[in-house]
Amino acid sequence: MEKAITIKNLKYQYDQNQPLFDGLNLNIEQGQWVALVGHNGSGKSTLAKLILGLLVADEGEIAVLGQTLSEDSVDEIRGQIGMVFQNPDNQFVGATVADDVAFGLENLEVPSEAMSAKIQAALEVVGMEEFTDREPHHLSGGQKQRVALASVLALEPKIIILDEATAMLDPDGRQMVQATLKKLKQLYGSELTLITITHDMDEASLADRVVVVNDGQLVMDGQPNQVFAQGATLAKIGLELPFSMQLIQRLDPRPQNYMNQQELLAWLSPLNK
Amino acid sequence: MAITFEQVNFSYGQGSLSQPILKDISTTIPSGKITAIIGQTGSGKSTLVQHINGLLKPTNGKVIINDFELTSQTKEKQLVALRAQVGMVFQFPESQLFANTVLEDVMYGSLNFGQDHLAAKEAAQAALTMVGLPSQHWDKSPFALSGGQMRRVAIAGTLALNPPIIVLDEPAAGLDPLGQAELVKLMLNLKKQDKTVVLISHQMDQVMTVADWTLVMHQGQVIAAETPTTLFNRPLSWFKKVHLDLPTAGQFAQQLMAQGWQFKERPLTLEQLAQAINQEVTIHE
Repeated sequence: MEKAITIKNLKYQYDQNQPLFDGLNLNIEQGQWVALVGHNGSGKSTLAKLILGLLVADEGEIAVLGQTLSEDSVDEIRGQIGMVFQNPDNQFVGATVADDVAFGLENLEVPSEAMSAKIQAALEVVGMEEFTDREPHHLSGGQKQRVALASVLALEPKIIILDEATAMLDPDGRQMVQATLKKLKQLYGSELTLITITHDMDEASLADRVVVVNDGQLVMDGQPNQVFAQGATLAKIGLELPFSMQLIQRLDPRPQNYMNQQELLAWLSPLNK
Repeated sequence: MAITFEQVNFSYGQGSLSQPILKDISTTIPSGKITAIIGQTGSGKSTLVQHINGLLKPTNGKVIINDFELTSQTKEKQLVALRAQVGMVFQFPESQLFANTVLEDVMYGSLNFGQDHLAAKEAAQAALTMVGLPSQHWDKSPFALSGGQMRRVAIAGTLALNPPIIVLDEPAAGLDPLGQAELVKLMLNLKKQDKTVVLISHQMDQVMTVADWTLVMHQGQVIAAETPTTLFNRPLSWFKKVHLDLPTAGQFAQQLMAQGWQFKERPLTLEQLAQAINQEVTIHE
């Protein structure tokens, strides 16, 4: 199967003295959920912009679903990728929730008789079907981000990139969006590649694979439990371990491997006799 | 500088269309401490803090900020004196950066308040040092900085005016762990300088770490005014009712208790939780 994204020897710098990426290589399989983590300014959002062709690499090659990114292919590639950004208030164009989801479909010239079914289906996936006629600015942050996600889903992309999409939300909103992402993965399986850019390690722990970026370098790449086993390295680059791992490190006796909160609760259970 | 609310009511609109937002609030924000205001979205937190610098005036009642009395009758002219006392940092303050360089941006407020160039520059440099932004960035465009750095520049703009009261609305939202830790350090530093810090926060872990005092808002009222430890030891049913979370450690402890674990007191920090678990395990071995 084709890779969802292939990055070969990527070089990019903002200004002449500060190379950000200096020969980056990264492959992402179709259907994978990859969490791209790193502190603010580590280069993870820049990488997303390079993949979308919003920025142009100085050297190297980016391919999306087997197609090399170039001036000629950029429009087609953007059609395959949906993007949800950090600030829920900056991504609305419609007067109602339904209008907003319709906007992208109109751009694709989807016939209007097909449109309302597509809108309804996308809003159902994110659990916002009852808000169709509401004004977007009256929604909570978590609801807005789910509508943004529905707008993207309606276009049936092969890849969705969420750039710090939960960073501005309150805990409830964050949970809502994370639950929606889990549902998407169950629903679409290998049909959908999900890339979440985040510095929230509890969110990263939901992914199949965690890629850690620091100063434009890949410093770790593995399953969540492999990455979270290296707490010292993460701390050095300004990242925190998930809560469960921080707790494990302070326990005596303690489990030998990373566990999420539910696993840790189950592990602790027989100790309380 | 303490802030006292005396029977403060605030409504938008008038007559039959009026919508009460704050309902009969009487409480005090202690001087020289960090006070966290918590409550779900729409509970009235932002409306409450906008009464501290007179962006809003009470419909009834008064707010006493040190020796300044804010009532419905307070004139705009009089508010100048209040605004020098209270620095406000809104949500995502980096969206208000505008100058060509970091230093100019931070100096802007002082120059506006009539300070000369040299004094404004010194105040700006002191504020940038306090927020921990290295001097190599001071002559850069604020827009060349990372999100966390921009946030700090914006906060420095407020600190440069050296107000005795500083109000921060969700200052850590969107920052990475390092940025959040810097911010906690900054708030503790401000307290050390005897500033009164008011913090709106959704992050209970942060509230537990930095706050000396908490006000809980619910449907326009202050329903709790106490230390974080007292607050977070309230029954779980109370938190459900007001739609608030416990700190992460408290949530985890609660799940253990549902499995039959017993703790003398509800652990509220990571350290307390680990200690409580280890102790229980040792007792039973």
